[in-house]
Amino acid sequence: MLSIKNLHASVEGKEILKGINLEIKAGEVHAIMGPNGSGKSTLSQVLAGNDAFEVTSGEVTLNGDNLLDLETEERAREGIFLAFQYPVEIPGVSNLQFLRTAVNAMRKHRGEEEMNAAEFMKLAKEVSKQVDLDPAFLKRGVNEGFSGGEKKRNEIMQALLLQPKLAILDETDSGLDIDALQVVSNGVNALRAEDRAILMVTHYQRLLNHIVPDYVHVLAGGRIVKSGGRELALELEEKGYGWLGIKDEDTSN
Amino acid sequence: MKSVPMLSGAFLQPAGQSLPDPLLAVRNERAAALADMPMPTRKTENWKYSSKYLKLTEDMAATLPATEKASSLDVPGYRIVLNNGAINRADSQYPDQGGITVQHFSDLDADDASSLAQKLGSTLDAEQTQFAQINSARFEDGLLIRLAANTVLDKPLFILHETAATQNGSAFPRIFVEAGTNSEMTLVEAYVSEGDSAALVDTVTEFQLADGANITSIRLTMEGETVQHIGATGVLQQRNSRFESHCVGFGGPLRRHDLQVRLEGEGAETKLNGVVVTQGKQHYDNHTSIDHVAAHCNSEETYRNIAADQSHAVFNGRIHIHQDAQKSNADMNNKNLLLSNGAEIDTKPELEIYADDVKCAHGATIGQLDETSVFYLVSRGIGRRQANVLLTMAFINELVEQIPVEAVRDTAQARLNDFFDQTFQEA
Repeated sequence: MLSIKNLHASVEGKEILKGINLEIKAGEVHAIMGPNGSGKSTLSQVLAGNDAFEVTSGEVTLNGDNLLDLETEERAREGIFLAFQYPVEIPGVSNLQFLRTAVNAMRKHRGEEEMNAAEFMKLAKEVSKQVDLDPAFLKRGVNEGFSGGEKKRNEIMQALLLQPKLAILDETDSGLDIDALQVVSNGVNALRAEDRAILMVTHYQRLLNHIVPDYVHVLAGGRIVKSGGRELALELEEKGYGWLGIKDEDTSN
Repeated sequence: MKSVPMLSGAFLQPAGQSLPDPLLAVRNERAAALADMPMPTRKTENWKYSSKYLKLTEDMAATLPATEKASSLDVPGYRIVLNNGAINRADSQYPDQGGITVQHFSDLDADDASSLAQKLGSTLDAEQTQFAQINSARFEDGLLIRLAANTVLDKPLFILHETAATQNGSAFPRIFVEAGTNSEMTLVEAYVSEGDSAALVDTVTEFQLADGANITSIRLTMEGETVQHIGATGVLQQRNSRFESHCVGFGGPLRRHDLQVRLEGEGAETKLNGVVVTQGKQHYDNHTSIDHVAAHCNSEETYRNIAADQSHAVFNGRIHIHQDAQKSNADMNNKNLLLSNGAEIDTKPELEIYADDVKCAHGATIGQLDETSVFYLVSRGIGRRQANVLLTMAFINELVEQIPVEAVRDTAQARLNDFFDQTFQEA
């Protein structure tokens, strides 16, 4: 599904990704772990098409099509979804309006009829229950005044509504208490499907207790330095990143 | 030394004489006082950012004729149509409810006319509103709207200002509203035009609110690209009265609105909301002034400007808290959005506080659309153009939603959609 070959990317002239290679097949769940500053978030942003990051070489294809040629909105319509580490607050645009506009943009792209307000409301209420969000939040501004946990649940709700081919979850577990982590994980597990891939980017192992990955990769210094199965994450938890010869200022967790 | 350009005498020559004597006397007196009025230049403090847009030529001085053409606007409620400032009786639907009288200046008897002559212009600071003075020298007719004590108007009253710019000329609409004790009314003024000749609309609306009166004033300015619009609204508020203003303005070659409120009775409240959008090479200048004269009054002011392309918006907000106005509560907020590097917005809050026990807050910001927010929206498949529209609308949504008349909200939204269509091109 997703194929990344020798991907280099920089921000403000500083190279962050230094040759990433990664193959993800439909139905798989991959976790990318690594210390702070290793390039995890950069990889997520580059895949989603944030033009603050410049791709200097390499290629990325989604089902054979060159992803890097596409605008952000086109990538989204082709099935890329990024759950933001820091979802943006947009006062003045209601969640309902935002979500319906997004869902209808996708439907239009697929040649389906757009949903009217009543149809969408019904759908949105159902999905909000799945991530344990009070439907009253639909009337509020996008993420406006949401707690950290509510913001993350809203991200997962968007993934459930948009039904992407590849969901990239950037530090979705950060800032969540145990209950919220459970809700978010249930949402993500509900996304798992044969025709969908999930890429989780995380600093800590604990999310992987709830969403069990098929593959784990360690990113350090802009490269994937080790790949393995589920057991690699457990090994990292036990030994930290140090045994791989990686420095990490923050391995206390 | 270069001489200061003077206002042409032609702009002080009214066409008709069909007003009661006391009102003719007002006109003559004003015209005499203005005989040596200099034109505003960039050195004129209250025209600093806008004088370069003011382009009056002598062939625009004549009063545009009363066309008696029916209004293009379809509105729910009472309506009075003014064609080039002249009242169109046939196309108007006067309120038929008891307690409200709507009279034409030209129909007033001697007593009413001399009583009005005393009050006309009293709500405005003459020095700051030069063009309202010209209106006082030029109005051909006007509307006197009086609400008796405790009258609550059941539907909004629309005043449709239709300018037919089919030839060069000027219009001088004049409205005076007297709201009796505890009376209530919503007055909507909509300014539109047709034709593409050079026209000046110099318009004045005044409100006097007796104790406990509650007036909502809504103003939509949307004339065409050859109409220069200079308006003044003056408001005098007595004890416990409440005034609420919603102004939505679309830019033009010159747009100017002075809104002056004097809180003269204790417990009076005023709320002023304003939205301005400009594009192309358009201009819009809002000057507001709130005088807290009496103690225990509240004022709350929220203005938003959005400027695209090479357009220019101006906000000047003055709050003056007089010495005796203890326990005043004033809050002024102006936020501005620049949609292009070529656009300009000037904002100037002015606070003068002479009482020591007051709460007075003010804030002004100028910014651009937030790239992070745009990325968030487009990463969900929303097109870049639509993302820009959503975020721009978000900037003013709250103010548009507060407009209490649905037909006005719809008209404003339709015009805003046109603005977005022209400002944000399809990718």
